[in-house]
Amino acid sequence: MKTQLTKIAFAAFMAAVLLTACSKDKDEVEDNEEEVITTLKLTFTPAGGGTALTYQFRDPDGPGGIAPTTDEIVLAPSKSYDVAIEVLNETTTPAEDITEEIAEEAAAHRFYFQPSAGSNITVSNLNTDGNGIALGLASTWTTTATATGTIKVTLRHYPGNPPGKAAADPIDSPKSGTDIEVTFNTKVQ
Amino acid sequence: MLATILVAPSLLFAQNCRYSLSGHIEDADLKEKLAAASVYIRETNSRVVTDSNGDFRFGALCAGRYTLIITHVNCDSVIKIIQLNRDEHIDLRLPHSLQTLGTVVVESRKGRENSGFKKELSGQQMEQTRGSSLAEALSRINGVTMLQTGSTIAKPVIHGLHSSRILLINNGVRQEGQQWGNEHAPEIDPFIAEKLAVIKGVDELKYGSDAIAGVILVEPRSLRNEPGYNAEFNTGWATNNRQMIFSGIWEQTLKKIPAFTYRLQGTFRKAANAATPDYRLNNTGAEEKNFSATAAWQKKMFRTELFYSRFETSLGIFTGSHIGNITDLQNAINTSRPDPVFTGQDSYRISRPYQQVTHQLVKSKSVLLKGAHKFNLSLAGQFNHRREYDIVRSSSNSRPQLDLSVNTFSEDLNWEHPRTNNIAGTLGISLVQQRNHYSGRYFIPNYNTYTYGAYWIEKWSRHRWDIQAGIRYDYKTIDTRRLKYNGDTLDHNFNFSTVAASFNSNFRASAAWIFNLGISLSRRAPYVNELLSDGIHHGTATYEKGSIELKPEQSLSLHSGLQFRNHDGKLNAEVLLYANFIRDFIYQQPMPENPVLTIAGAFPLLEYRQTDALLSGMDLSVDWDPAGPFRLSGKIAILYGYNRIARDWLILMPANKLGSEISYVLADKGAFTGNSLSMEWNWTDRQRRVPDAGNGSQDYKVPPPAYQLINLQASSTISVSQRPVTVGIGVRNLFNTRYRDYLNSMRYFADEMGRNISFRLKISIEKNQRDKSISKH
Repeated sequence: MKTQLTKIAFAAFMAAVLLTACSKDKDEVEDNEEEVITTLKLTFTPAGGGTALTYQFRDPDGPGGIAPTTDEIVLAPSKSYDVAIEVLNETTTPAEDITEEIAEEAAAHRFYFQPSAGSNITVSNLNTDGNGIALGLASTWTTTATATGTIKVTLRHYPGNPPGKAAADPIDSPKSGTDIEVTFNTKVQ
Repeated sequence: MLATILVAPSLLFAQNCRYSLSGHIEDADLKEKLAAASVYIRETNSRVVTDSNGDFRFGALCAGRYTLIITHVNCDSVIKIIQLNRDEHIDLRLPHSLQTLGTVVVESRKGRENSGFKKELSGQQMEQTRGSSLAEALSRINGVTMLQTGSTIAKPVIHGLHSSRILLINNGVRQEGQQWGNEHAPEIDPFIAEKLAVIKGVDELKYGSDAIAGVILVEPRSLRNEPGYNAEFNTGWATNNRQMIFSGIWEQTLKKIPAFTYRLQGTFRKAANAATPDYRLNNTGAEEKNFSATAAWQKKMFRTELFYSRFETSLGIFTGSHIGNITDLQNAINTSRPDPVFTGQDSYRISRPYQQVTHQLVKSKSVLLKGAHKFNLSLAGQFNHRREYDIVRSSSNSRPQLDLSVNTFSEDLNWEHPRTNNIAGTLGISLVQQRNHYSGRYFIPNYNTYTYGAYWIEKWSRHRWDIQAGIRYDYKTIDTRRLKYNGDTLDHNFNFSTVAASFNSNFRASAAWIFNLGISLSRRAPYVNELLSDGIHHGTATYEKGSIELKPEQSLSLHSGLQFRNHDGKLNAEVLLYANFIRDFIYQQPMPENPVLTIAGAFPLLEYRQTDALLSGMDLSVDWDPAGPFRLSGKIAILYGYNRIARDWLILMPANKLGSEISYVLADKGAFTGNSLSMEWNWTDRQRRVPDAGNGSQDYKVPPPAYQLINLQASSTISVSQRPVTVGIGVRNLFNTRYRDYLNSMRYFADEMGRNISFRLKISIEKNQRDKSISKH
């Protein structure tokens, strides 16, 4: 009996050693560095000079939590603006500039701009990727008479390899998925 | 439990295959005939169950050497080698306490069958599932269905409930992975299991107070207990997804140290993209690499076992189902078939989105017998690492987007007291420590949990009655920490006390009728994801949000069973009625008025809420084995899942099912034995009981229509130079039917898998080195 107890004790000990050997506490490391897009920033430079305007969608704590803020885009009538897009991850310090990544992989990204009817805004002259297909990090926005409306800015990403991006791809092309879909209120005044 | 009688009737055609082997089994201590003991011949893969007189009989056996494995509930298998040169009759006495049978150590307890709810899958039925996932194998049990995400990810559903409401016991250890998610499949190699069982009632208290739906036992075969070695090699091939499987087992006990025995086991599985009748789904491949090793020291009064297993899988997720936002989801759902961009590749390659999961288990189990007292000590460590790779914007990103590591240690000690005054019982304590760590996208926080539990079960049995009762208490603390982006931490601490109790009675009215009635009270503490999940679920384009206000769920489950078996055992029928009242049932409530606005658009919000639910239903099965080569069986499963506060149906409940099978047993011919052919018809109704859209739309698409499938199976065991080689061919979805299943989230996007022809081969080798005088001549 005694030897049996010794054996069971030994077995228990062996197992305990095995288990505790693996149970070292991990240091609490913060590594929430996943690619989050918090900010879509549009910078409007009036053609022929003038003060640049900046409007943005901003969700500094990422999806969920505090609700994001969306600026109203206010533009002057009968004017043309060169628009540059910046995409940021502001959960990190300093903020991560995702614009560069998009520019590097231009053949796998595409911005779409959908002004509402009656918003009196047209978007044209989208810059292109290396294959001459629209990218949209830079574009030209032209206004006419005063109006209010909306504009939807969508970033589509082509996960395929090769991406297979084509000029005729509609916004809901199954080849691409949505990374950004933001609707701004617009006012031409 | 239906008696499974799979032996060939004594139709004597082949010359050398006309012997019979009969026997009688008794409980040595009670001097009672032992009914419902299972007798299995390894070589022919046939099994019989002893009748109420403790008798069994195999017919049409060829001359040769056979390995008999005799099992009774809660016992380890007894192995008996028989040399058959004429008709034989053997008498076996299974002792209560530890004694020897030949040189074989036999351990038997309590004399009687578990009288609660128990359904098993073993023997030939288990063999037929080789190559399928654990959930798919379990779904052959009436009342069990599958919750799927495409063709690669499946988890079991018992009577409408799944995930953390089911306890999965892998080789005696409660599986602790990330089971909370609908697309998190059990991390277990199905080839480890010799037997799968679903139990409800008193015995579930051994594993936890939270088994609201029941317990699934994954039981490996018993280790060898006599000197010698045996090996088994399995391989499987399938046409649809070009799946290939290799699985092997090696077991040995050395003659010089008969107390020491070990087993090595491994499985490799690889599957390419699956095809529906009309198109092949890209990125639906899978790969699995599993390994396990067991070593044991077995003496008369003491046994200790060390077990290690490693499970590793990569599972592709259909590219067309990974959704950027709700607009994309609506577009994908509105097409009747997936866009050609997502179909047509026939490849083993797995790319984003995919899951990679590893699960390791180290276990030490010791059994000590002191007189008629039995002590069991089990210590286990589980290390689970789950990584989900989403489609990402930057092609240079090789990181997973969701990365969860959960490590669990558990210690269980119990004492089985001897049977006195017809009462046998078990007292036990169990401790669990668990730590979860996340990185990448937040979905659930880091946490530490500690669980302290104790239980007490007593079983009384006499004459026609078995009465069992048990109680369990668990105290659980959960300390959580979320690491916010800006370096802030968010801590929430919880503690829950849960009590469970169960009562079961079994009455054998006559040899033909058995009645069973059980009542179980269980409580389940909310799981961390229900309390604190907060994030986008890409498979469903929803935003899931937990609630820290949740209380434990309380379930009052009633089940009542009736079994009939006619005088010669040829007709068996079983009906089970159940009702599970769940107070504070935790579920996800869509909040259509409060979508979550993100930079990728607005996501519908789902919030964890509590309601009162009632799940009730019926399982019915009939098995008829008339004289002659045919055997017929049929089964029905009906379930009603109801939200009693909203006065509405619950979402995602299995639809009614109806199935039948006809099998034809061919006579043994020459080297071909155990030849059988079977055809199975399964019908799944359209789920008509879904939440009313008037209460806030809960689903994107109406449930798919009813469907029926025809499956075929054929198998034979061939003796190749004295070694049994089992060959099986199966056809699933014979008519290449197009269908979608309500419980598969892929139903929004694509059809289910089309016709799949599979081929399996099993080779067994065995050599026993034992005292010749013991084998029967």
